[in-house]
Amino acid sequence: MDPLTIALPKGRMQDAALDLFASVGLGVAADAANGRRLVFADRSGSAHYVLAKPADVPTYVEYGAADLGVVGEDVLRESGRHVYEPLRLGFGRCRLMLAGPPEARDRNLRLDIGLRVASKYPHLAQTYCLEQGIPAEIIPLNGSVELAPTVGLADLLVDLVETGTTLRENGLVELDLIMHSQAVLIVNRASHKLRFGTIQDLISRIAHVVATREEQR
Amino acid sequence: MDLSGALVRQTPVGVADLFYEQAAAKTMLEQRVQHLFGDWGYARIIPPTFEYFDTLSMQASPQLRQQLYRFVDRTGQMLALRADMTVPIARIAATKLYDQPRPLRFYYVGNVFRHEEIQAGRHREFSQAGVELLGAGTAAADAEIVSLAIETMVALGLEEFQINLGHVGYLQGILSQSELDEAAKAEVERAVDQRSDAVIAEMATGLGLPAEVVRAVRAIPHLCGGTEVLERARELAPNAAAMAAVERLEAVHSQVQHQGLQEHLILDLGEIRTMGYYTGIAFHGYAAGLGFPVCSGGRYDDLVASFGSDMPAVGFALGIERAMLVTKARARAGVDLIVGPGSSPACVQLARRARQAGLDVQVDVLDRQPSELMAHARATQARHAVYCRAGSAGEGRPYLLLEGEPLSLSADQLERELSSWTL
Repeated sequence: MDPLTIALPKGRMQDAALDLFASVGLGVAADAANGRRLVFADRSGSAHYVLAKPADVPTYVEYGAADLGVVGEDVLRESGRHVYEPLRLGFGRCRLMLAGPPEARDRNLRLDIGLRVASKYPHLAQTYCLEQGIPAEIIPLNGSVELAPTVGLADLLVDLVETGTTLRENGLVELDLIMHSQAVLIVNRASHKLRFGTIQDLISRIAHVVATREEQR
Repeated sequence: MDLSGALVRQTPVGVADLFYEQAAAKTMLEQRVQHLFGDWGYARIIPPTFEYFDTLSMQASPQLRQQLYRFVDRTGQMLALRADMTVPIARIAATKLYDQPRPLRFYYVGNVFRHEEIQAGRHREFSQAGVELLGAGTAAADAEIVSLAIETMVALGLEEFQINLGHVGYLQGILSQSELDEAAKAEVERAVDQRSDAVIAEMATGLGLPAEVVRAVRAIPHLCGGTEVLERARELAPNAAAMAAVERLEAVHSQVQHQGLQEHLILDLGEIRTMGYYTGIAFHGYAAGLGFPVCSGGRYDDLVASFGSDMPAVGFALGIERAMLVTKARARAGVDLIVGPGSSPACVQLARRARQAGLDVQVDVLDRQPSELMAHARATQARHAVYCRAGSAGEGRPYLLLEGEPLSLSADQLERELSSWTL
């Protein structure tokens, strides 16, 4: 049978994702995932892995270039891609927060004029501001969002917070929780139907591993 | 006038220019499915491209309503471009054909318009070919549409494909057992549609759903496969409404089986992402190698009534552009014969004879020399080229090109050549 193609996010969740697939018998050789190779197979040859930028994982999966993928819920929501998301994977936990300088706590943001919010998540930031009635201009950035309030590019920011250290070091505080996020398994809609048995079996094996790990926590 | 960078040389995002092989492939594919629909006794219907916004947005989901292209005519009326063919056909059936012998069987081929986000196989203008069977609420009518959808995929030359068939009444029946408002039901439907067990479980707790409802809803993503799925669905069905959906699916499956088409039919109770107006069976067709559906359909028993005449109905539509991505059928490029020079009487006479013999023939209206004519024929993938040589001795005597060296032919020889080319 054709191997399943699985898109993995390069970077912070890559090792945890590979480890999870290894625990269901789709492990890769020790030297497969290092270096510059972007496509590699597992030892059994039943899975092909594709390493993509996290924000691109939902794209690979929606178009069917990958059957499955692992990505943070934050990135998935930002992408707005139409995929199945059958499983939360229990790692890569973090929070998407509205943050800013401490004095912003005392301001009624809805009454502010000319508010600017910097974010790597412009879509989620915009949706949040509209829902909350905060009249803000969203400034899309690609990284180091904490810098924006410091240099006066923006008043506030919407970003991922894991421990809060980065915010503190830049003299910023958490203002409001927008969403909890963790890694999720996503599946192409057509693949899920065309290879239902194979994929459903894989999902239930992963679900079992995730549940066992949750119990041990 | 400087047009560099000007919009006049571009098209808007989401539309396409088709020519050569792609245009030919689209035409061939459309003809093939029209022929099939004709074989099943469906007659062509041609609705207008734009109508009143209120007509076209009838029973549309909020999402589809937002996707309608609307504009205001000179009298201030709000118009829209059709976003599908089903709504216009429902309007026609209810307002003009309400007293005709039932059921009505119509097929259509045409372009529709939706302001889609441009991603994964979506365009803003795209073509659909499909059928509507109006005035029959039976399982046999459902089965006819499902079977015709399967036969359509076969006619496209697809080998690995499947139709995933569900029924919107199953989840609706289960949820009617709870006291959820419409917004909460929509949330649950979205979670089921995303196959997100975690979200379903969270909502079950948050909304305080009864245990039997939670059990059934969480099972839906797993209810996908052969008839064994129906057994499990029946066990989980908490009320008559959900049970009726299962029984309808069973009847449809068995009708499809009688035609030997069941190998392509998957029962899938999670098949709930549909047009807003669906009331019964709902299905999508998937082909190996394509990450999104090729066709979709379902039953819409209330839509025609909203235009003033009660008529149950069922139908499906094929996405022509999507079908073009997966079908192996390729249209032939190039004409059979190019004949020149166009200013010569012998040339146009020969072209006429060749067309009568059934060939696709172009006349070289640019009067190219033989070597140039040959090069042009090769560049346009023409299968043969003929140059009618001028001169007092052999006036109009044709050269046959493209078969090696130019060869002088008699009329008889050419006649024989032409007849062999038609094979």
